[in-house]
Amino acid sequence: MAARRPTVIGVLPFPVLVMIAPSLLLAAFVILYPLWEILRLSVHEISRFGLVRGFVGWDNFTAVLADPSFRASLWRTLVWTGAVVGGTLVVSVPTAVILNMDFAGRGLARAVVMLPWSVSLSMASIVWLWSFNADYGLINTLLQSLGLIARGVPWMARPETAFPIEIAIGVIVSIPFTTTILLGGLSSIPGDIYEAARIDGAGPWLQFRALTLPLLRSFINIAVVLNIIHVFNSFPIIWIMTQGGPDDGTHILITYLYDLAFRLGKPGPAAAISLIMLAILFVFTFLYLRLQPKDAN
Amino acid sequence: MKRIRFSALAWLALSPLLAVSVFPFVVMLTTALKPLAEVFVYPTHWLPQHPSLEGFTEMWKATRFALALRNSLEIAFESTLATLAVAVPAAYAVARMQFRLRPPYRQFLLVTQMLSPILLVLGLYRLMGMIPFGDGKLLDTRLAIIIPYAGFQMAFSVWMLSSYFAAIPAAIEEAAWIDGCTRLRAIVSIFLPLALPAIAVTGLVAFVAAWNEFALALTLLRDPDRQTVTIQVVNLVAGRYSVEWNQVMAATLVATVPVGIMFTWLQRYLVRGLTFGAIQ
Repeated sequence: MAARRPTVIGVLPFPVLVMIAPSLLLAAFVILYPLWEILRLSVHEISRFGLVRGFVGWDNFTAVLADPSFRASLWRTLVWTGAVVGGTLVVSVPTAVILNMDFAGRGLARAVVMLPWSVSLSMASIVWLWSFNADYGLINTLLQSLGLIARGVPWMARPETAFPIEIAIGVIVSIPFTTTILLGGLSSIPGDIYEAARIDGAGPWLQFRALTLPLLRSFINIAVVLNIIHVFNSFPIIWIMTQGGPDDGTHILITYLYDLAFRLGKPGPAAAISLIMLAILFVFTFLYLRLQPKDAN
Repeated sequence: MKRIRFSALAWLALSPLLAVSVFPFVVMLTTALKPLAEVFVYPTHWLPQHPSLEGFTEMWKATRFALALRNSLEIAFESTLATLAVAVPAAYAVARMQFRLRPPYRQFLLVTQMLSPILLVLGLYRLMGMIPFGDGKLLDTRLAIIIPYAGFQMAFSVWMLSSYFAAIPAAIEEAAWIDGCTRLRAIVSIFLPLALPAIAVTGLVAFVAAWNEFALALTLLRDPDRQTVTIQVVNLVAGRYSVEWNQVMAATLVATVPVGIMFTWLQRYLVRGLTFGAIQ
């Protein structure tokens, strides 16, 4: 491409300022002020009704860190994020590889794989909640007709079954996006290198290991990072299906913080958790940027 | 022959995922078409024995669905307009102008994209409860939700729009300047018509995002008269002792299908926007 003369030069010329100022102001309004407010709440004692009482320093943070429910939620957040992102990748890589091959009805298969994307998280959660209903849900009906269970299992009544189900739904709703990114990556791999590998006697598994995976790596990285950020903050699935219960047994940090802030009337500790989550996200992003090979851009 | 066997194998390998993808739609449709008496029959039948539209009509009355639809449409439409009003000029600057603060500005957009509104929901709630508006506060008004929707959709929109804008040849505008056109006039009469498809796609993405959003709507709209479809449908389930599931599934269908069709069409554009910053 021919070099184009830059049209405006300068640090921040006036026309550019006019064009980007609204976006900066809007972001300041919905991000900076709320962030400042959360910082303020986190170091004050706050009444149930949201009145700021006295400065308490780190008290909210020490209280949160000593709270067993917080620790359990933190651990569950790691499990949730790891399992959903990992599970999504394990399903999406082979799915993308298959969908990239030439077989009869591929267009239809692609469309069906993408279907869950067209339903919002909250609506999907409601449908799955009903499907796992203990008495009349179709999952129990299905398992009973297959003879796998004798009577209806109350799936959502115990954290030991409810949380893995929520993870599975997290995986299902993340697959379309991840598969799409991977398909984009696969389509950029030229077909003739496989030809060459075949001539050299490489079988399908070796081709996948030695060619597909390395060439797909940057796309896998992007999908994983975007998924981690998104899943770490994911609220609707758990809030709609179990609201963190039973016995606080399915809370992750984001649902626990919402519970504290809006149901239990503890904005101070909730604000502290918000900041802890932000810190985790920033550390993660920083590490990711540091670990990225320099030639990636 | 080999192709047939290979195709069968591919479908077989995909079948568990395909089943799981289709399953929610089967559940929605079959349950929505059952009369209430049939929903609570044990053992459960897969298909409705006496299909009826009872679920739809009862749900429409019970949830004041028409009002919720209007709220959702207004909120989604207005937040789309607000998003575009802010994002289009910013995207033009990023795509067309050279300025030294451009890299930090793009980094800044990346960071705002990383911050999920739910992390800041407590601060947003207090912000909206603090600002006086009309007789009361901004909280519980349409504006209280439109502003954050626009704010959190903006970064993605600027990204997506600027990737499309950069693909529109600058030479066309430059030719207009030579012909004595002012810069602004060249933008309005030459650039914008070419950019319209990209703006439309970005706007639709913002519309669907606002339509589907849950956490902020749950927090910032407490008044039942203001609530969106998403919240109304969730309220049919949350904290209820007995849930009329045929109504709930009818409601999820109505809330999902129009936007779902739109979104299916949008997917291909969406990914380009999402991965723009990362892949280039």
